[in-house]
Amino acid sequence: MNAGVEGTALKAAAQEWGAAHGVHIEVVELPYANLFEKEQLDLSSQTGAYDVIMLDDPWFPSMAGDLAKLPRPPDSDFVTSCLNVCRNPYQSGEYFALPYVGNAQLFFYRKDLFEKYKLGPPQTWDEVLAAAKKIGAGEKMYGYVMRAAPGNAVVADFMPLLWAFGGDVIDATGKVVCNSPAAVAALRFMLELGKYSPPGYAGFNADEVSAHLLEGDAAMSINWPAWIAAMDDPAKSKVVGKIEFSPMPSERKPGVGELGAWLVAVPKGSKHGSDAFDFIYWATEPAQMKEAALRGNPPTRRSVFEAPDLIAKFRAFPAQLASLEAARPRPRTAQWNEIENSFGIYLSKANAGAMDPLQAMLAAAEAIGTILERH
Amino acid sequence: MSVIAAPARGRRVPEGFWWVFPSILVLLALSIYPLLYAVKLSLADRRNFTRLLSDRLFFTAGVQTIVLTLAALAIEFALGLALAVLIDSLARGRTFFRTALLVPMLLPPVVAAVAWRLIYNPQFGVLNGSLRRLGFDTSHLTWTSGEGSALASVILVDVWEWTPFLFLLLSAGLQAIPTEPLEAARVDGAGAWRIFCDVTLPLLKPTIVLALLLRGMDLVRIFDQIFILTQGGPGTATETVSLYIYRTAFRFSNFGYAAAMSFVLLAATLLFSRGLLKAMRAR
Repeated sequence: MNAGVEGTALKAAAQEWGAAHGVHIEVVELPYANLFEKEQLDLSSQTGAYDVIMLDDPWFPSMAGDLAKLPRPPDSDFVTSCLNVCRNPYQSGEYFALPYVGNAQLFFYRKDLFEKYKLGPPQTWDEVLAAAKKIGAGEKMYGYVMRAAPGNAVVADFMPLLWAFGGDVIDATGKVVCNSPAAVAALRFMLELGKYSPPGYAGFNADEVSAHLLEGDAAMSINWPAWIAAMDDPAKSKVVGKIEFSPMPSERKPGVGELGAWLVAVPKGSKHGSDAFDFIYWATEPAQMKEAALRGNPPTRRSVFEAPDLIAKFRAFPAQLASLEAARPRPRTAQWNEIENSFGIYLSKANAGAMDPLQAMLAAAEAIGTILERH
Repeated sequence: MSVIAAPARGRRVPEGFWWVFPSILVLLALSIYPLLYAVKLSLADRRNFTRLLSDRLFFTAGVQTIVLTLAALAIEFALGLALAVLIDSLARGRTFFRTALLVPMLLPPVVAAVAWRLIYNPQFGVLNGSLRRLGFDTSHLTWTSGEGSALASVILVDVWEWTPFLFLLLSAGLQAIPTEPLEAARVDGAGAWRIFCDVTLPLLKPTIVLALLLRGMDLVRIFDQIFILTQGGPGTATETVSLYIYRTAFRFSNFGYAAAMSFVLLAATLLFSRGLLKAMRAR
């Protein structure tokens, strides 16, 4: 499992289930950068080293073929966007995993400053840009902060803009469309937002973005639910209670955040398949998911998001559920890691000022086309 | 028992062969087998090698690896030699300075890279913070985030961490130089610079070759600092061959192409080593 906040609740659940069933469970925690390679190697060689794996949803298309089919389909309490990425093929096929962490991007903004400048909650990206200019100038701070380090970082911050402008990376027929006018316009808009971001954002990852929000010198950003708790933690934050969380702003199309669900699955090569399935069904039951939510895990069940006692404790839950319901997964292709890397390189170059948006998108489309042709 | 006979052929196995035989087996299993397996992987699809010729990212990464290696090696050598000569000439405090200078090298590269990532942060980092206190405008100083400054920033970290390695080797080399030729040169009236160029440097040449070879080979494979500091960015500004090989193998699961690139990197390293040896011999 992932050795980050996403794995904490599952680790505790595994130990609890093991103690209750008299089963010795060995938990292997790996940093995100190594988790994929370890799991992929285990799955492709069917060593059976792991009985349950935790996987990030973009990895599912390349791993699904080596996962064991679920013995029964999940119930309808799970959020649909989370269930869709557990099916192979996407949306319509059989289930090979259960959703455990309900991550979808949210929009973070300084509610106190929006009120001060008499601005309504940002509904569109144009409003975001206008607010960034106004608050940035008025408060001598950065109106917006984003991450544009190559790879996953810049792609994750660009996808909500790309979708809101009506663009995409690959269309339903598998054709590369990231060189469309809509995609170029989205990148131009990203660079415009970059003017109100801190210098050096072209090298930022999630920790730098959150540091600027926590220090109170940036007014808005796209971020993941994992950072919500830190915003209201007086030990880490100078903006306790001042950050509001909302679903993604719209533009030409309705606002959509990127889905970043973590799934639990049983490899085909597992030597204890029956126990492994018992565990993943148990861990994703409403009662267990509620326990996990109390340990900081964003749930994947509607009933848990809507529980009044949890809403009282986690003020962002309504926004998280709305964002999760609308969230879109990254393109469902087994080559996504390679495509994301290429796409991220050109987006990062554009943000660093080394390429203009049109040039960057044409180059990205060519590189992605080459990757798809090769496979 | 001094020899073990091999009765079937009547040949004599050298004394001690069976004592080292387990080590040979371990070496074959851990070193030779993976190497042969990598050869098999790279040749499984012949397009792996032809793809290299048209892979722009591989070309960019290759050029940057060369630039980084040569620049870092030149700076580290110049600084390491200067420090070694300077500290060797001190009458007192040599042990203290030698120990103090080794501290960066003793840090794990990942720890050093994390520390430098914080130091380089344009807004909260100590580097820009200090410059701001001194009255400089740091708004354009983005270090690892700038297209033009990222590679130089990575080189600076490498210089900080590995100059002590060259200093250590060259310092040991200086101490091993016999005093007689130096005294003879002094008696003949040679100045300090002349003695350094005509006596010290030629006598130090074997150590210099060894130091440049070891550090050069390590630089060609540079990975951890870049992975932590920039992940190859912004764009491809700090992409190196090792980083590209890692991604190809472990992120894109294309082990054959990664193996093919590894062999090209190995060949380049061998050529670099041979070229360096030749150049040093020719002088």
